[in-house]
Amino acid sequence: MKLDNHLNRLKEAKRRDKIRLIVSTIVAIFLITWSWWGTAFSIPAMMRGLPNIYQFITEDLLPPQFGAYRRFIGPTFETLFMAYAGGVIAVIISLVLGIMSAGNIVRTRAIVYLGRAISTFLRAVPAVVWAVIMVAAVGIGPFAGTISLALGGAGMLGKTYADSLEDIDMGQVEALQAVGASWWQIFTHAVWPQFLPAFLSWSFYRFDLNIRSAAIVGLVGGGGLGFILNTTIKLFQFKQAAVGILWIFGLILIIEYLTAKSRDKILEGL
Amino acid sequence: MNDLEFKKMISRKQDHIRNGIILLIMAVIFVISLLQMNIDMARIIRGMESVAGFVRAMFPPDFSIIPRVWPLALQSIQIAIMGTVLGIIFSIVLSMLAAKNLTPIPGLGIFLKSFFALTRAIPALVWALLFIVAVGLGSLPGILALAVNSIGMLGKVFSESFENVDKGILDGIRSTGASGLQVFTQGALPETMPALISWSLFRLDINIRYSSILGVVGAGGIGWELVRASRMLDYPAVLMITMIIFAMIYAVEQITSYARNVIR
Repeated sequence: MKLDNHLNRLKEAKRRDKIRLIVSTIVAIFLITWSWWGTAFSIPAMMRGLPNIYQFITEDLLPPQFGAYRRFIGPTFETLFMAYAGGVIAVIISLVLGIMSAGNIVRTRAIVYLGRAISTFLRAVPAVVWAVIMVAAVGIGPFAGTISLALGGAGMLGKTYADSLEDIDMGQVEALQAVGASWWQIFTHAVWPQFLPAFLSWSFYRFDLNIRSAAIVGLVGGGGLGFILNTTIKLFQFKQAAVGILWIFGLILIIEYLTAKSRDKILEGL
Repeated sequence: MNDLEFKKMISRKQDHIRNGIILLIMAVIFVISLLQMNIDMARIIRGMESVAGFVRAMFPPDFSIIPRVWPLALQSIQIAIMGTVLGIIFSIVLSMLAAKNLTPIPGLGIFLKSFFALTRAIPALVWALLFIVAVGLGSLPGILALAVNSIGMLGKVFSESFENVDKGILDGIRSTGASGLQVFTQGALPETMPALISWSLFRLDINIRYSSILGVVGAGGIGWELVRASRMLDYPAVLMITMIIFAMIYAVEQITSYARNVIR
């Protein structure tokens, strides 16, 4: 009797899994058909494009004209400055946003919701969209790029800071509350030391992401490597563009390595 | 005060000094960065003023453009889905060839993995620029750009998932005389399916974000409308399009994260 019950329940679970599988397959097929039709995608068209792509890569793009490297030196520094300055501003904004939206530190629900809403909005809108808007507002150049990196970064860091703050051990906070410490004392002595490792590793990670974002906000007028890359492509100087693309690839790898290395070093020292 | 406490106090003092110096250096680099980009106080204040003016000019958002822009938002989603699907198909094949425990040609792994690294590191928007030159404007370059960029990420994580499959399972199937392809379809693929689906959904999420901006360079979707509105100084339309992009990305993020939770 008991075994029967068990068997029935197993069968039931299996049936539910099967239904779930069928439903999700149907949904997937529907979505893919809808997209296929909507984008007028056709495999023959893609196949016809392949020789073009091959020809473009072998004749227009390769070999890279390495002599053009001089054009990319200035923009490289600009990209690095943008990524750094945008990152620092993002960290400052996010500290405010993160503390605002950590439910265990700020007790007013309205403030927490407001903070969460702001970082969700900033995070969901891509940095390039911010860049398009900022280029319209303050003109072409690294200033627009810096602000858009700061806004995009603030969205991500605001959320991750808030989540890390909510994860801290409240025992230490309560202990300080019990002895009558002020809000500021509690924050600097109980909250901050626990939050510091997460704060550092997320911030370093953001600097790393900023290099990638800095390269692409430039494409829409945000200055730096993206801007010069876009210029070379628009002028059909593809062999120079190839140098830029390889260099962006190299720079991203270098920065990824350096940020990971220095993050580990600093976290070790804590 | 005994010796140990004294030493502790000294080292804490040193820590404070060290942290202060690091902060100071970071602040100096920050100022240098701004100055090198010709951003000074006057420029910041002027910038703030123009941003404030811009924001004022944006309100109220222009709801009348919704009927025109809506199909383009849907097209962005469709481009993201097609790019993701193509990326998944190629990634499964390539990552099987790249996985150490499945590959028929041992040397291929390193070659494919550096290919993944290259396609991953070059941003989707740059891929779109290149594909536009190669195949012309429209949604095809967008789809291809997302597919190639997805291969970089999915190829890497898929091949890592395959490599983590328990060796015993694969050996068991091999011992029955199964071919290499059968070992893959009967052993590695079913074992890793939940992980593969979860990564694919995550990638769809990323691709939606990219596809909303591909239009900026002319690769289809809503991005072009944003650039056009901003060039025509139609600020209420800029705000409306930004809100639509936000809604689109946010909705897809909620749906894919729900689906990923169900799988787990």
